[in-house]
Order: sequence, then C-alpha cells, then structure tokens
Amino acid sequence: MQRRTFLQSFAVAGALAALPMSIRSGFAATAGAISVKDLPALEGDLTLYLGRGEGGLYEKVLDAIRQRNPKLNLQIRRGATAALANTIVAESQAGVRRADLFWAVDTGSIGMITDAGLARPLPKDFNEQLKPGFRYPRWSPVTGRIRTLPYNTERLTADKVPDDIMALADSDLSIGWAPAYASFQSFLTAMRILEGEKATLSWIKGVSKHAKSYAGELGVVMAVERGEVDLGFANHYYTLRLKAGKPDAKVDLAYTKSDAGCLVNASGILALSDGDLPFNFMRYLLSAEVQAYLSSEAYEIPLVKGVKSPTGLPELSTLTPPDLDLRKLADLRPTLNLMREAGVL
Amino acid sequence: MSSYTASKSLYKSVFGAIALGLSVTSLSFNVQANGQITDQVNHLKDHLSEYSEEVSWLEEKYDGLVTRYEAKGTEAVDTQELINYWEEVNFHSAIETQYIPLYATIWQHIYGIKTGIENGDDAKKVRQHQRELTQTFWQALGAVKLAAHYQDKGVIDKIKTTDKAPTSAPEIITDIEKRLDKVVAKYAEQLTEVATTMVHDTYMERFEGIEGALIEQDASLVEALEKDFNVTLPQAIENGKSVDEVRSIVDTMKKKLDNAQSLLEKAEQNRKDVF
Repeated sequence: MQRRTFLQSFAVAGALAALPMSIRSGFAATAGAISVKDLPALEGDLTLYLGRGEGGLYEKVLDAIRQRNPKLNLQIRRGATAALANTIVAESQAGVRRADLFWAVDTGSIGMITDAGLARPLPKDFNEQLKPGFRYPRWSPVTGRIRTLPYNTERLTADKVPDDIMALADSDLSIGWAPAYASFQSFLTAMRILEGEKATLSWIKGVSKHAKSYAGELGVVMAVERGEVDLGFANHYYTLRLKAGKPDAKVDLAYTKSDAGCLVNASGILALSDGDLPFNFMRYLLSAEVQAYLSSEAYEIPLVKGVKSPTGLPELSTLTPPDLDLRKLADLRPTLNLMREAGVL
Repeated sequence: MSSYTASKSLYKSVFGAIALGLSVTSLSFNVQANGQITDQVNHLKDHLSEYSEEVSWLEEKYDGLVTRYEAKGTEAVDTQELINYWEEVNFHSAIETQYIPLYATIWQHIYGIKTGIENGDDAKKVRQHQRELTQTFWQALGAVKLAAHYQDKGVIDKIKTTDKAPTSAPEIITDIEKRLDKVVAKYAEQLTEVATTMVHDTYMERFEGIEGALIEQDASLVEALEKDFNVTLPQAIENGKSVDEVRSIVDTMKKKLDNAQSLLEKAEQNRKDVF
C-alpha cells in the first residue's frame, strides 16, 4: 500500500512562470500563500453554492471578499452539501446551470460533481500553491481536518496510545465514538478502502465491544475529558476548541501513523463555469489571509504552503496521513452496510 | 364553516412555519418547510373577521361537547371531534405560523379534554381544560391580530416555502429556540416521533454547527446543552412526561441558549477581521 509522507516542498519555480506578474510577486514573497493584495480585483456576477460549514466563519470570509471587491455581485445559495451536489447534477441534467462555484464541506460531494464531468479544469498554475498531496486537476481543497485520537491525560499517557488504528480493536482501552456522525463514517470509508472490507468489519466489531456511543464528536471529546472513556475518535478541532475554552482540560491528541486513523479530509471548491472570475474567486479562498483566518478562528488546517497550522496541532509535514484520493470517500454505502452488519447503526 | 381538510393535510405534511415571537425585535419568519403553505398566512388582515368567527365557533363546539359529557358521560361523546374541530379551521394555520407557544398550549388542552373524557375523569377537571382552552383561543386571536398589524406595516417578512438557513451564530440560536417551541407543539399534538426527530435534527443541523465556537466561551454550558439535547429532552418525550414538564425542559434550555447567544455575540465582536 502506498503511503504518503508530507515533506516540505520548495518546487515553486515552475509555478511562478505560469502566474500573472502580480500573483507571481506575492507568491514569491510568501513561499506559497499569496496575499489578497496581489490578487486581481473580482468584477462581475458569480453564484456560489455553499455547503453548510463552520458556523458563521465562512460567511465572514465571503463578506470580507465582497467588501474588498465592490464590483463583485456574489449570490449565495446555502444548504446541506450533499443536497447542493444533487441539485447541481439535477440542474445539469435539466440543461441549466445556476451555480458558477461549489464550495463543499466534504470531498464526497466534490467527487459527485467531478465524476459527472461538471467541474472545469483548474488553470495550470493553480495547484502549485497547495501542499503536496492536495493537488487535484478539477477541484481545489480549501482547508483540512485530521482524524485524531483524543485521550484523557489522567488515565493515559501518549506512549500508551497505539499508533496503529487497527490495533485499537484488540486493546483493553475504553473508547468513545459517534457512529452516526458523518466524519466518523468517512473515516471508516477510508479504512475500508485502505484495509479492505473484512478487516474493517472485524475492526468495527472489535471496537464495539469496548466502545460507548455519542451523538457527535464534540460529545466524544468531552466524554474523554470527563474520564468516561480513555480515548475517542474525533476530528482534531473539537479538542483544540475545548482546550481554548478550558486550558486545563484533561485531554490531549494522539495520532496514528499512515492509516485511516490520521486521515486528512478537506473542504473543497470547484468551478462550474468558464472564465477567469470563478478561478480568481477561488484564489481568494487560498490567499494567505483567508487561510490564516480559518486556521486561527476555525482551527482548520491550511492546505496552502507557508501558512501555519492552528495552535496546538503539529504541522502537517510531521504527520503521516494515508495516500488516498479523497473523492473516493463519497462511496459511503458499503461502509454503512458494514456498520449495520456489525450492529453499530 | 369552510373546509380546511385538503389544504391542512398538505400543510401538515411539512413541518410548517416556525413560530414568531411577538416582539418587534424578533419578528422574523424562518420557515423550515419543503412543501406548500397556503398564502392566507401572508394576508392575515384580510382574514381577521373569519378567524374571529372561527374562534367563537370553536368555543361553542368545545363547550357543547363538554356540556354533553357533564350530562351524559363518556358514551355520549365522540372524542375524535375534539381533534376535528381544531383541524377544520383556517385559524389553526394562522396561529401555528405566528406564535407557536400558544399553538402548543391549544393542543395540550385539547388532549387534556380528550384524555379526561376517555378516562371518565371528574367533569370539573375536564371543564377546567375547556375553560383554559377557550382562554388560549382568544389569546391566540389577539396574537394573530398583532401579527396582522405588523404584517400590514411591513415589519415582518412573508412566510416562505423554501428553507432559508440562518448564517450567523446568533441567528442559529434564535432558530434553535423556535424549533424547540415547535417540539413542544408537536409533543402537545401527541406526535411523539415527530417531536423526537425534531430534537435530533435541531441538534445535528443547528446546535452542532455552533457548539465548537461556544465551547471556546463556556465549556460547561456546552456540556449542559449536550445533555439536554441528547438525554434530558428526548428521554422526557420518550417516557411520556407531561407537556408542562417537556415545556419546562425547553424553557430551561432556552435560558441556556440565551446565555450562549450573548457569549457568541460578544465573541463575534472581538473576532479579528479576515483582511
């Protein structure tokens, strides 16, 4: 199985040649992330389909882009990400296109659009600002989230937490999980793709013997902190946010190595119409300012080179997420079947 | 009396409109609907006399039914009529879309009468529910008149048939509170499964989106609300607690949510700019 190791890459020379002069200068100055000061002004009409995301922070970003670009007429349609993806496909089948852009909180919905052949190919230079492993021809990741093992620091030490996700099935640790939660199901889908159905079914059955279920993954993290369970499965930002509000919280993060336990999933954006405007809008989301804002305020992982990870999280280059085309996470049905077979749904 | 059945059955097939708190500052309709709502609710003033007639008719009908029970007992009464009367009138959708707490109370007393009669309770107890039901009908008519006034002034938005998701954290909390009022209404209507689903959906589709920001402000508040959403409220519904008990849990949750709203508004003011 191929694994991906995140190494710092400095191969930007080729990208620089393909960029407009104004963008080139910003790119060079920040070694990856481009400042909005170096981006072209946005002018014209754009319709964005926005999947439900991180509270009001995405809205703040969009408002800021609007304010900076008074000649941009940005219309936004909001809804559940999967529902919007279905709408885009249905509109296409009906011969209409209302959206110029689709910003999705999960890559499964992105896969649905790219598989339908509706996403426009990105300009050649576009991907170079993204971190290696997050470059795709027809869509751009915006920010990431990593699967983690939050553990109770009074009951465990980091060295007692297995760095192999599959080993947890046979451990004697008490575990908190949220089987109905979309992020957990994406994580299991990654495991199914990487390890196979048999191993995943066995893992689910094994963990379920010593797991306690919660409605959501913040609930998992809080249960870990209270000491109800030794550790849990959750996206990274719940623990960071809990620790921001409660610095003495008895919880810390551990990471597995090169398996689904440290999957990095991403929100993403793609263009559905031709022309520079949709892509230039996307460049704003990848700008140094927006990436830093989403890192510091939403604890999301910047996927553009040169922007720091949120406080409390190791740099992505030190972690070893699995090598996986994130669009494959859209194939959820076999995962749900396994979960039902194991009796956890 | 105009027949309400056809439009009502269509209307009740969707969750309908979220309630309007009748204070000017919170006058907004945010409809969680995916079906058609009769446009009558957007022209309340044109229908006030009809609503008044309906309330008088309802008062007469419920009074008559309870009087029959007092005189002749359970056998003389078809308790299904208690439901039919209320579902027959256009006033039903007016109050359901304008002020959900009173809508919930109406159902509570209708079922109070129904259960009392079916159990052969003392007629005084049944009569007490009927009196309170009548009072609530008139209160509700007052609320609809007030809403008609604001609607006429253009202060409140039209009820929409498409989902307009709240975008900011304070908006989301306002929406959560309205949904919780709706939970009480559906529970009072004895639609237990619908009420339970609404609690779950409110948690997953709304609260889950703000709790990350809230936990940075007050972790214990999030912990308390997590328990309310996932344990206290659903268990109260599943265990058949009284409507008043469920309403009390919701009222307590709304106080916590008010606190959350203040915290998030303050946090929002202190948040740094994007550019």
